[in-house]
Order: sequence, then structure tokens, then C-alpha cells
Amino acid sequence: MPPVVSSFLYIFIFGLSLGRHIDQVEGMSYMKFLIPGLIMMYTIEGSYINTSSSLYISRWHNSIQEILVTPLSYLEMVTAILIGGLMRGVVVSSCVYLVSLIFVKTTILYPLQFFYMLIMVSAIFSTIGIIAGLFAEEWEHLSIVSTFVITPLIFLGGVFHSVSMMPPALRFITLLNPIYYMVDGLRYTVLGVHSSPLWVSYLMVFVVFAALYSFAVYLFKIGYKLRV
Amino acid sequence: MSNSTNPAAISIKNLTKYYKTLKAVDDISFEIAEGDFFGFLGPNGAGKTSTISAITGLANFQSGDVRVFGYDVVKDYRVTRRLIGLAPQDYNFDPFLSSEQILYYEAGYFGLRPKPARQRAEELLEMFDLSDKTKVSYRRLSGGQKRRLMIARALIHQPKILILDEPTAGIDVELRHELWKFLAELNQLGTTIFLTTHYIEEAERLCNKIGVIHEGKLVSFGGRAELIQNMRSDRIEVRIKEKLHAVPDRLKLLHAELANGGQLLSFREDRSRLNEVLHEIFNGGLTVEAIDVKKTTLEDVFIALTHKRS
Repeated sequence: MPPVVSSFLYIFIFGLSLGRHIDQVEGMSYMKFLIPGLIMMYTIEGSYINTSSSLYISRWHNSIQEILVTPLSYLEMVTAILIGGLMRGVVVSSCVYLVSLIFVKTTILYPLQFFYMLIMVSAIFSTIGIIAGLFAEEWEHLSIVSTFVITPLIFLGGVFHSVSMMPPALRFITLLNPIYYMVDGLRYTVLGVHSSPLWVSYLMVFVVFAALYSFAVYLFKIGYKLRV
Repeated sequence: MSNSTNPAAISIKNLTKYYKTLKAVDDISFEIAEGDFFGFLGPNGAGKTSTISAITGLANFQSGDVRVFGYDVVKDYRVTRRLIGLAPQDYNFDPFLSSEQILYYEAGYFGLRPKPARQRAEELLEMFDLSDKTKVSYRRLSGGQKRRLMIARALIHQPKILILDEPTAGIDVELRHELWKFLAELNQLGTTIFLTTHYIEEAERLCNKIGVIHEGKLVSFGGRAELIQNMRSDRIEVRIKEKLHAVPDRLKLLHAELANGGQLLSFREDRSRLNEVLHEIFNGGLTVEAIDVKKTTLEDVFIALTHKRS
């Protein structure tokens, strides 16, 4: 429910109110341009929060031991937690999309590619949540990652603006931000417009996910902060 | 001891476990045969839980070889974990689940399909007198109910080995006796049981094999009777009329100690040596007022073993 309310507010304030004063972005209304970015933002946040908090709480209560003594493989354990984050990411993004339909009708142009990007990004941030949930010693550590890493990257990753609207120096920095390619790739699958080569987005999400997932399974295998 | 065709239920060889620089388990080795009821005794911090954690996969260890029915607990962890049911010392339930959900989900982790998982959960809730608590969050259960739920969860996949870490800590006498009865029956049906406890009576009553761990070292291991026998099984107490200030030399050979203001001679000797003891007392010119032969309890053995080491 919170993502539904806040996405409604975002679209209402940024899209409907401020958007009236912006002519067009990438050849479309600002509100339409905003929708894929918001979907990506809530997918990222929802996935990260789900897995990081679940794992941290189960470590805190020692209930992770219920899983550690079972015959599940470490790969299965990580995958199971990841699917929880994935489900949350997909449900939240669907809700944001449905909310956006209240304001502007947006048809997803390339549904297959859309789901590929959505699932891969959700999986990436679910895995980052798992890793953060293992490293965190205190509850605050989870929000430190969220506040100081994820949120700035989201806001500088083209959720609310096109890279062409930025001064050259900032544009270069944006191109180093992995979330920019995620937002750009998803925006293409919904609206058919993009700023950087699509193969970079598609490949990057796959490579980043594979690397993070392998690392998370490795941490479970060595029992990092799981086994004493 | 096991052989190649019939591996030990649990085999531990040269297990060493450190917590940073603290050596919690120090090069211990022992084996438990299938069907044994093994009691693992030791004071707080002796290394009991660390040993259990090494067997069940809740702790890494620095060196040693731990096997369950011949399978390596590190390399073949998926097989060994299926063979073991663990009821740990501290409650480690998911705080958001009800009693029924705890058992149902655990059954799923062990590969039971939804229908059999639900049936098994119901069966265990009934067996442990928790049928009226199915929808209740575990946080609302009493201490005894939580302890029962913990054992029920450990039995969800019908393990061949049940490991219980202080199962009767903090529960009332009635429930403790019920639990002892249940565990004895389970053992008779073939389940190997590994139990750590502070209650010597518990180990004495239930276990056929006992190990004593102290400061990470296994100070004693063997059959219950054998363990007591090795400690000179009896204590002969002779009350005398005279008041002695020291043990006479001739009685020192019989391991005599003086107590009760010099009027009680206590001998750590088997009752078969009673005649010899009395003979030496009479030859020493002492007058006997009363004689008492006490059987050594496991508690005596435990205290002797752990104090000797300290």
C-alpha cells in the first residue's frame, strides 16, 4: 500500500503539476516519460527492502537456523530468499503501473523485454538486499545502504529526467551509474525511446546479477555471519 | 566402535573449534552408535553447544572430521542434515509464525509435499498436546509449550538422530518427567538420541552412554555403568568414637579421608573391600559406631572429573 500512495503522489506532483511547465521530453509528455522511471524506482526499493529486512530479522531472531539445519542447498536458500524479493518487486511495480493508468494511458510496447528488465533488476536488488542483510550488524546499516547508495543512484539515474537535459559534466557521471542503464532500458520497453545502446542495458543487468548472485551463494556457503 | 559396513551414528575425530582466539572445543574424538542414548555433560561454556553446532552445520570448525552415519557433515551436508533433528537450547522460531505454520514450513524445508506436511504438523501438535495452540503465535506460548514445539519441530522429518540441547531447562517437574518418558520410548523405537544436560539425574536415568566435556576437552567417555565403575564405584563411610586429627598412615593406602570433626572416615573403595577396611580400622585400635556404604552417583563422577581438571 505505501508504494501505491507515494507513487500516486509522485505522479500527481511531478507529472501533473510540475510536468505542465515542461514542454516535452524525448518527444513525449513529461508524465509519460516519468512512469517507467517510477516503476523502476519502486521495483528497486521494494526488492531491496524485502530481502535485506527479512534476512536481517531472521539473523537477529536466530530463526535463520531453522533453514540452516535443513537439507536445502546454499543455492536453494539464496534463491528462496531472492524469490521473496522478486515477488515484492513485481507486485509493487504492477501497482505503480496501475496507479499511473489513472493519469495517463501507457501501453507497454515490448512486454517480453519489459518483464526481462523488471525481473533482472528486481533480482539484482533482491540479491544486494541479501548481501546487505548478511553484512549488517545493526538495523541502521540497512538504511545506510538505502539512503547513501541506492537512493542517490536512483535519483541520478534518470528516473525524473533525461540525460540530454543534464550539463555535460553531470551527463558523464550519469553514464557511470548502473541504474541509469536499468531505467533507460525499461523506458525503451515501455515507450520505445532510449538514450544509450540497448544491448548495454540488457547485458549489464545479466552480468551484474550473475556476479552478485554468485557472491551471495558463496557467503551462504562459507556461513558468513550465519554460522558461528 | 563402528565398522565399515555399519558406520557410527555420529563419529567425531579430533574436532577443534575456535571462537577467534578462544578454543571452545579442543581436539575431541568419540563415536555414538545407532540406537544409543548419549548424554553429553559439562558445565556452562564447556563446549557442548559448540560440538552440537559443528554436527548440525550451525558452526564452522577449524579442524577435525565429523560424520553422521559415515557422511561428512561439511561435504555431504544435505544428507547429514536430513538424518538429524535438532532442538536447540534457545528458541529460534520465526517470530511472525503460528505453531502450525512453524511445523508446516519446516516440513516443507525437509521436502514434504503440502498435504503430508500438514498431516505431520497436525500429528505432532497432537502428540505434544498443542492442538489447541495451532493458530497461536509462538510468542504467546508458555515456556513448556515452546519447549515442546521445539522438539516437535525437530521430529518433523522423522530423523534417525535427535539432538537435544538442554531440553528440560526451565520446565516444570511434571513436564520434565513426561518428556523423559517420551524420549525413552522414542529411543526404544530406534531413534539415536544425543542429549546435553545440566541435570545429572536426567543423564543417569536416560542415557546408556555418557561423555563429559570440560574446558573444551573430553575428560570422560563411555557407558554409564563403566564410567561410574572407573571412578571406584562406592564410598564406604565409617563413623568412629575417637576424634582423629589426621588420617592414620595404614588407612591412607585405602584412600581414606577424614570428615565430620575427625569422627568420620570416608573411603573411596568398592563395597567388596569392606572387610579389609574394617580390619585396618580395628587393627588401628579405633572403635566403630556406624557403617554406611554409598553407591557413587553420576554427580559424584561429574564433580570429580571436572574439579580434578580445574
